[in-house]
Amino acid sequence: MPPAASAPAAALLCGEVRTHLLPVHQALDIRTAAQFLGLRADERVLLSERPNLYARSPDTLTGVDCPLPTADGARTRAVGTVAARAALTEGRVLQSSAHVTLPAAGPDRRRPWGEYLVRPGVAEPVGKLPPDAVADGVLGGGRPGDLDLGAIADGLLTRLLRHPLIDHRPPLRSRPTRLRWAALPAAPDEEPSLEFTLAEDHLRTVRLRVPEGTPAAEVAGLCDDLALHDWLLTTVVRLFDGIRPDTPAVLAALRPAVDHLLHLWMPRARVTGDLAPLWDELETRPGFTRQWETLVRRIRDQLALHAIPSPHREAELTP
Amino acid sequence: MLVFAASDKGGTGRSVTSANLAYQRALNGDHVAYVDFDFGSPTAAAVFDVPDAVRGTRERGLHSYLEGRATEPAVIDVWRRTENPVLRAWPNQSGRLVLFPGDAGGGEFATDEEALERCVDLLLRLNAEFDVIMVDLSAGRSYAVDMVLAATAHPRMRHVRSRWLVFHRWTRQHVIAASGLVHDEHGILDSGVARGHDGDALRGSIRFVRAAVPDPDSALWSRVSPAQAAWMQSTDEALRRLAAEYAIGDSVVLGVVPLEPILQWREQMITEEDVLATQIANKETLKALEEIARKLTDDTCWGRP
Ligand SMILES: Nc1ncnc2c1ncn2[C@@H]1O[C@H](COP(=O)(O)OP(=O)(O)OP(=O)(O)O)[C@@H](O)[C@H]1O
Ligand SMILES: [Mg+2]
Repeated sequence: MPPAASAPAAALLCGEVRTHLLPVHQALDIRTAAQFLGLRADERVLLSERPNLYARSPDTLTGVDCPLPTADGARTRAVGTVAARAALTEGRVLQSSAHVTLPAAGPDRRRPWGEYLVRPGVAEPVGKLPPDAVADGVLGGGRPGDLDLGAIADGLLTRLLRHPLIDHRPPLRSRPTRLRWAALPAAPDEEPSLEFTLAEDHLRTVRLRVPEGTPAAEVAGLCDDLALHDWLLTTVVRLFDGIRPDTPAVLAALRPAVDHLLHLWMPRARVTGDLAPLWDELETRPGFTRQWETLVRRIRDQLALHAIPSPHREAELTP
Repeated sequence: MLVFAASDKGGTGRSVTSANLAYQRALNGDHVAYVDFDFGSPTAAAVFDVPDAVRGTRERGLHSYLEGRATEPAVIDVWRRTENPVLRAWPNQSGRLVLFPGDAGGGEFATDEEALERCVDLLLRLNAEFDVIMVDLSAGRSYAVDMVLAATAHPRMRHVRSRWLVFHRWTRQHVIAASGLVHDEHGILDSGVARGHDGDALRGSIRFVRAAVPDPDSALWSRVSPAQAAWMQSTDEALRRLAAEYAIGDSVVLGVVPLEPILQWREQMITEEDVLATQIANKETLKALEEIARKLTDDTCWGRP
């Protein structure tokens, strides 16, 4: 898509990501993934096999003309389009995400639609944008009728889950997560930064400061990656819920994680340039990879324990 | 596993009993969703004691979701939002217990193709997330019953297991009505087959629950006169024969919930606390609920009898 020459600088980028286990018995291979994510005939699915299997749909656009969520209740309308896309990692984890770029100001009246369509993924405020209030509003969730990026991401997910390739036989039960993000431009003398919060009900929020001019798609890529790894952690931690350790039930509960999830950990696989250092912050606190490694060790220990038949138990079985 | 809770008549104990079954499963570590498809009178919130959704939610209830007015239905985390103090102190090893409430002021509505697709979307998503999904259906041959019969016959749902509980009270009228709901022309079996279900498989996935059954041998009736006792005994036996004659005899009964004074006064969860600590509930009631909850996933209790 041609970059719009007249695009004013973005005052706020925001988005929401939904992360799901793809409900199929067998992970999709790269060819099937391409078929699955081919949302548009005119654009190809992005495919990559290194460092892991990854497929991403072309962007779909949703036209919007609605109030923006604001923390202080101020009413700002925005008109334009929201970009949404879906990505599949190792044919197993499906993410759908929507994002939008909001410039600092727009004309006082709505323009003809054609003028919005030349700048996909941009919604112009009618008048001036209060970026901080909208960032808070997006992260906190809006009122009914406000711009709802989660609903757009979810709509795409629903559409994909109706695809005939999906047999709805997930190898394990898991809970989807949602991650909302808002990125404001960093001041010239300010370092990029990232603040990750676990909010209620499997909702995560990420507040970022990014170098001025960072494209929304790049921030969305970072947030997809964050969401994927947070989902992996959450899902695997939950496998231990409700099972008593050191019982054979542990085997049945943990086995699917070994078969389907443990190989998916690969932070920063697709995070580019300026934003890559933001991951490092998460590695020190809360220490994503450290947590993951501890979990993996715990799983391996449990499996090892139960894979070795206890001589005591065998003795009991012989009459 | 999907579990549909149906009844021919209203006021049979369908909602209260199925909510208690959901609670029992969650206590045992399952992740459980309770879905209020009783569009006429969504009341599950009252049973779970979640006041902010007692009369359904204002917007984003299941009704709004199915009609496409809400992208995602509202969800209530019962453990966190309930005002029942025993439920609030839920034990560590329990699973999630969430309620998908109906809409406030909803009513029965005709379902079109798109509502059906959305129903399938929802059930599939829940099935990927929860171990047990308990669906409370409006009484009688309602749109809700029709919709889930169509949904479970949908090709996208071919790998999803579902079972039916048909609730009825222990009277002549209720026995006949419950049998009719399943076996009569246009009953669940008939409509199910018309929607593409295999008749035998569907029949094997339906069990009956007798609710609020007075047990003549219970201490509750220990003070009745010998004449009354004899009458109760013989009526109970006559009802058993009637049930068998109407093809809803013991072989297809998943459980019997005794008449429980607490539940006659108040729609609520029966907890261990009520039986052991305060002793306001009968232990037989709790035992019956635990037993039915266990049998929901015990394959030996299902299939063609
Ligand atoms: N085992 C029981 N003993 C005594 N009363 C009971 C028992 N089970 C349920 N009840 C009571 O019976 C009444 C009707 O129960 P409930 O609301 O669950 O019925 P329902 O079939 O869901 O009705 P509706 O069709 O109106 O939704 C309630 O007051 C409930 O507390
Ligand atoms: Mg009811």
